[in-house]
Amino acid sequence: MLSYLLKRLASGFLVLFGVVSVVFFLFNILPGDAAQMTLGQRSDIASLEAVTKELGLDQPMYKQYLLYLNDLSPLSLHNYTSEEQNKYGFTALVPLGSNRWLCAKAPYLRRSYQSRQTVNQIIASALPGTAILALSAMLIATFFGLLLGGIAALFAQTWVDRAAVSLSIVGISAPSYFASILIAYLFGFVWQRYTGLSMTGSLYEVDAFAGRSLALQNLILPAITLGIRPLAIIVQLSRNTFLEVLSQDYVRTARAKGLSEWQVMQRHVLRNALGPVVTAISGWFASLLAGAVFVEYIFGWKGLGKVTVDALMKFDLPVVMGAVLFIAVAFILINILVDLMYAWLDPRIRLQ
Amino acid sequence: MSNEVFLRRLLRVQNLSVSFLQAGTFHQVTHGVDFELMPGKVLGIVGESGSGKSVTSLAIMGLLPKDFARIETGSIEFQFAGRAVELVGLSKDAHRALRGKGMAMIFQEPMSALNPVMRCGEQVAEAIRLHQPDLTEKEVQDQVIALFKEVQLPRAEVLVQSYPHELSGGQRQRVMIAIALSCNPALLIADEPTTALDVTVQATILALLRSLSESRGLSVIFITHDLGVIAQMADEVLVMYQGKQMEFGKVSQVFQQPKSSYTKGLLACRPVLGQRYERLLTVKDFLEASSEEDLKLPVQAPDIRTAHLQVLYAQQPLLEVHDLKLWYPQKEVFWQKPSYVKAVDGVSFTVFPHETLGLVGESGSGKSTIGKLVAGLQEPTSGSLSYKGVVYDQMNGAIRKLFRRKVQVIFQDPFGSLNPRMTIGEALEEPIKVHGLRKSASERQKRLVELLEQVSLPASVLRKYPHEFSGGQRQRIVIARCLAMEPEFIVCDESVSALDVSVQAQVLNLLKSLQKELGLTYIFISHDLSVVKHLSDRVMVLKAGKCEELQEADALYLHPQTAYTRQLIAAIPETKFY
Repeated sequence: MLSYLLKRLASGFLVLFGVVSVVFFLFNILPGDAAQMTLGQRSDIASLEAVTKELGLDQPMYKQYLLYLNDLSPLSLHNYTSEEQNKYGFTALVPLGSNRWLCAKAPYLRRSYQSRQTVNQIIASALPGTAILALSAMLIATFFGLLLGGIAALFAQTWVDRAAVSLSIVGISAPSYFASILIAYLFGFVWQRYTGLSMTGSLYEVDAFAGRSLALQNLILPAITLGIRPLAIIVQLSRNTFLEVLSQDYVRTARAKGLSEWQVMQRHVLRNALGPVVTAISGWFASLLAGAVFVEYIFGWKGLGKVTVDALMKFDLPVVMGAVLFIAVAFILINILVDLMYAWLDPRIRLQ
Repeated sequence: MSNEVFLRRLLRVQNLSVSFLQAGTFHQVTHGVDFELMPGKVLGIVGESGSGKSVTSLAIMGLLPKDFARIETGSIEFQFAGRAVELVGLSKDAHRALRGKGMAMIFQEPMSALNPVMRCGEQVAEAIRLHQPDLTEKEVQDQVIALFKEVQLPRAEVLVQSYPHELSGGQRQRVMIAIALSCNPALLIADEPTTALDVTVQATILALLRSLSESRGLSVIFITHDLGVIAQMADEVLVMYQGKQMEFGKVSQVFQQPKSSYTKGLLACRPVLGQRYERLLTVKDFLEASSEEDLKLPVQAPDIRTAHLQVLYAQQPLLEVHDLKLWYPQKEVFWQKPSYVKAVDGVSFTVFPHETLGLVGESGSGKSTIGKLVAGLQEPTSGSLSYKGVVYDQMNGAIRKLFRRKVQVIFQDPFGSLNPRMTIGEALEEPIKVHGLRKSASERQKRLVELLEQVSLPASVLRKYPHEFSGGQRQRIVIARCLAMEPEFIVCDESVSALDVSVQAQVLNLLKSLQKELGLTYIFISHDLSVVKHLSDRVMVLKAGKCEELQEADALYLHPQTAYTRQLIAAIPETKFY
């Protein structure tokens, strides 16, 4: 098991290295002068040169690449100066002569050209919103998806089944930009007096008097909107796997023991049917973490998707690169987690 | 007396008719079944697929698929807790309450009948908890261990923690029996419980069921297609055919003086180990026989056989196999040296023209793999194979193509071997076209009719699709397709194992007559020693990829040289009532 995990982590690391390289070179061949963008309108030659030097833009491409890798790597080489110490916040480990040290640090994603904030900070502040939104959307989708899928399977070929399947087709077909506008308009505006929800809002509301406060009610509409499509897909997927598992011999064995239909479902069918559902859920969850741009935009939800798109429009490359890398890491980790989950769900996989 | 019997009777089925939904209407599949069962007795229900034996047992258990099946007439009376319960028309919940406690069931496929993601012990414990809710967890676990010991599972304490895939087929079936026994039922229904198991494992499971029936006073309904098993297991037997009850009575009586001609045919169509017949009688022969004369078994005289064998072995061998190996490397961790699974481990043999060489062995013995290697469907790890003196590795394009045409395989599953979207005509014509054996369409058409004649099928089948045929007919079509290539050498890989015994006899007769007619050479692979022996001139016994013994077929049976062969022969349930 441990060797399997190590192998997966190693291959994940290779994937990540590939992503870093592609991201770096892709964004470096894009047109646009980073120094110019950092300074904006009020630029003179002297400060332009200073910024060019600071960003390392006067160096050849391979050096910039190595520098970028060095910035990202948790184990890196730095000069022990207060300037660098401030920039990276490293812990010096091993001296390598002439003030060079092997250091440990958190990956440094550089600073936004626009706000001069570090990208680490930007992601850290956008992440909770996105993570909570994605998580609640997936919880809604999984819970109701499995429930409806299970009911549809138990009542297969009756009107209950057909209703569940037809509804799920509607859910799959609704484009999220359209669904979010419709839901925001209906529940946040037309029926606002009944629902008490507002059209837009983030996880934290900033109030002039009370300061920052948690506003969980703002989560409801975007989470439901975001959950509709995965919900619909989980309904169909789980219905089919439930039906397949229900026809298995061991379900007949369970019935022959005298278990009730509910006990059979819960104890014997569910776990055997989870495999494909877990795959679907993890895929959706990972892509939701990448930011549900439309939904975040329409509901004014401060999340990673909104931050990334904003940065992209302004050519704020460090933020975009940082976000892409972060999402890659999230994908890799979730996939490893899913494989471990398979092994937990199905002991036959553990053997191999 | 009759009154006493009436009181003690555990199960009485009267005039039971069940119908199934087919294409929108209900069709009756069993017609008025009557039988009864005493406590502590074993009732065998025997019949072919579609005879209604499983349907009857599912009706007793209340496990008929609720939307597709219904009980038309009849009654099932079951003694439970001192009173008679009528099971027909019983509510779903009341019937469920009887399952486990009153009656339990084990099934054919121990591979799929256990939940793969639940530990074996837990699957037993679940049933105990359900029916004895007052027990503490400790008592439940103790009972599980005790049950595992009762069904003679080794290392019971370890196996309760194992998952089904870590157990062998026989062990899984024992776990199934433990689940069935967990609530101390009065009736155990065993639906083909040993069909999927190797013959030596089958023998141990049968012995276990027999001893449980005696020690617990358990009544057993044992469903099987194998008369040998019935003879060994049952006190009484119910013979079913096409949903009708052909016979019911004491085993000794039914086997010695069968009343219905179906039963007679069923008894005769199994190859008997001690005799050598030219051909087997089939159920059809019995149903259509007009006089006793038609039913005489043509026995082959020993001197004719000796002469036949002398002629065979005076020839040059057709196929020579030397030190054949197929090893699969297995890597646990990448830095370790690979270990090997030795599917075939140094097997050498020769096959002579017009001979039948039987390969027999249990699952995992490598018999099917040898068949594939011989037919060139798989490349061996090492070893040499030569056909008509030409080494396989040195065959170039045209010769290899000819080899592929001359050496054919007939597989086990006649359902999977035919493309469902091709008519029989298309399926038969394809190989003729591919190999350019008949140039014009009219010549090919003539050939197709000829091929069908050889396997005794009418020309009208050419336009039909595979799903319109029964298993036996499909296997005939597969044989015809194989003959279309004008082969010399055919590997029959479990070719009759999926067929009912009576159909099996027909296909075996067909194979034998084709051999005579066309001068074919066979390698006949089967797990069933009696079938192999019936057809073969020589038999090779395989075990774990190695040849245990290679001998003339009758000599192998009469004077087995190795302990393993003796064990195999001893494990075959014999219909000893002849």
